Amino acid sequence: MSSTWMTTRAWLLMLPLLVIMLAVIGWPMVDTVRLSFTDAKLIGSGGAFVGFDNYLKMLSNNNFQRALYATTWFAVVSVTAEMVIGVLAALLLNQRFYGRTVLRALLILPWALPTVVNATLWRLIYNPEYGALNAALTQVGLLDSYRSWLGEPGTAMTALIIADCWKNFPLVALIALAALQAVPRDITSASLVDGAGPFARFRFVILPYLAGPLMVALVLRTIEAFKVFDIIWVMTRGGPANSTRTLSILVYQEAFSFQRAGSGASLALVVTLIVTVLAIGYGMLVRRTAGSAA
Amino acid sequence: MSTLTIDAIRKSYGAVETLKGIDIALESGEFLVLLGASGCGKSTLLNIIAGLAEPTSGDIRIDDRSIVGVHPKDRDIAMVFQSYALYPNLTVHRNIGFGLEMRKVDRAERDRAVRETAKLLQIENLLERKPGQLSGGQRQRVAIGRALVRNPKIFLFDEPLSNLDAKLRMEMRTELKRLHQMTRTTVVYVTHDQIEAMTLATRIAVMRGGRIEQLDTPENIYNRPATLYVATFVGAPPMNLLAATAGEGGLRIDGTDIIVPVPDLDGIAPGRRLVLGIRPEAIERSGAGVPLTARCEVAELTGPELVVTAAMGSQRLVAALPATTRIAAGDEIALAVAPAAFHVFDAETEQRLN
Repeated sequence: MSSTWMTTRAWLLMLPLLVIMLAVIGWPMVDTVRLSFTDAKLIGSGGAFVGFDNYLKMLSNNNFQRALYATTWFAVVSVTAEMVIGVLAALLLNQRFYGRTVLRALLILPWALPTVVNATLWRLIYNPEYGALNAALTQVGLLDSYRSWLGEPGTAMTALIIADCWKNFPLVALIALAALQAVPRDITSASLVDGAGPFARFRFVILPYLAGPLMVALVLRTIEAFKVFDIIWVMTRGGPANSTRTLSILVYQEAFSFQRAGSGASLALVVTLIVTVLAIGYGMLVRRTAGSAA
Repeated sequence: MSTLTIDAIRKSYGAVETLKGIDIALESGEFLVLLGASGCGKSTLLNIIAGLAEPTSGDIRIDDRSIVGVHPKDRDIAMVFQSYALYPNLTVHRNIGFGLEMRKVDRAERDRAVRETAKLLQIENLLERKPGQLSGGQRQRVAIGRALVRNPKIFLFDEPLSNLDAKLRMEMRTELKRLHQMTRTTVVYVTHDQIEAMTLATRIAVMRGGRIEQLDTPENIYNRPATLYVATFVGAPPMNLLAATAGEGGLRIDGTDIIVPVPDLDGIAPGRRLVLGIRPEAIERSGAGVPLTARCEVAELTGPELVVTAAMGSQRLVAALPATTRIAAGDEIALAVAPAAFHVFDAETEQRLN
């Protein structure tokens, strides 16, 4: 069989998928690019060509800068916390103790919950009138009176980050736990005979085997955190006083609440660009980490 | 220069007892090989000496200091593992010096010790490489260097040559012997390879089912195996084991008319079921020994020798003859075995009788 026929056949077999991908991703992308150069409204006429107006307005606009800052803060803090808690949980669950299997199974539960359910659950916990957090804190004497955790600009973002961590640290823990099982017993034994303490053992024995898989977890989580929408929409809708308005929330408000399709499109493209740059940068990092561990 | 005393060591995992009372006393500078099939408890015993597992009961002493319950790092031992167990992201230099680094030996002293060890093992040119860039043989040298550099009281080896190919294994075996002759450190070495055991050991402990079958010099393990198990475990091709019965003037090989007079076999009641052991290499084409006749079934030339499988009555005999011997399948052959080369075992207890 000739290689041209093999190539042709491969393309033929992929054709249906390509058509669908182009229709549901390719075309909207192209149309978004077009929209971003117009002043189109969501409803009504196509709008007029306005050049880079949308982009210039966005970059000089306070809203965009605040949203970019909120998104970055959310992503950096929640992903860092998820990585640390995830690795610690994995180290713990890698020890031998009674009931370990049950705990390992329970670990996956928060991550398996739909985000909307998780968000609703945490809204209940943070509820200013009957929330469990208020009750617990007042009962141990750390708090005098109930507070509205999601209602105050000073605490809303932190409350969101905690809820997001609770949902997502299990993914990191699971990946880390799988990696820990791959650490050869002999090397652990050798480090014991060599006199390595817990920290040296983590640094020289465990970390080399953890680095690659953790890098993958880091990439996945950062990209997801940068695109965060649903948990915030359910819990705060970007409020109070726009303190939790991330880029995705801003895009939604611009395009659908204010019906400005043109500037919404330009915002969406900028978010896409940021995530793409992150993905490519991380991809290179992953390849480097994987290369050094082999 | 240290002695090692293993005193009534037992180890149970739940209801399963993997070590059933092990006693070994090693003189300083001895090379002990723990030899046995997988699951015999040899690795468990080594891990207990290393402190990677604790015994259920019993005591282990290095120079009369009990080390049971002492952390592995404080036992003054060094261990080499089958999988080399090198730290993947450290250079060879740091791998070898890791134990010293953890013990806060200063940098200059450490560097001197590492370079000296590397020179000894001829891996000076590899010091800046990572383990991933080394071949199997080089990795094993690094692993040995990591043990050597600390100048411990006892060396422990856990099947260190099993992952190497045959040629490299022979080289490293000689290398290990050379190192031991040079350092004269006490060694405990685990293997399932009888050639490694025979060539390296000053004494071999053949283990089976959590017990020591025989603890003796390589010569005695080979020449006077204490049990049927030891007899078959050491030697290739393995010792011939022929069913026999005690009778007047010697023992009769079952299924034949051959009577074998065996010295030092007084007081064995006629009719007792016995096993007669003959090493293939003890069988000669002719000579002053006890004559045996057999019919050749298969003759295999291995290069240095001709391995003949022959039928003797209803039993089968393997003989390793000189390569120049001309025998073809179907030939009746006359063979001879020196009386001293017979091993007699009780068929019930499997213990040696002569």
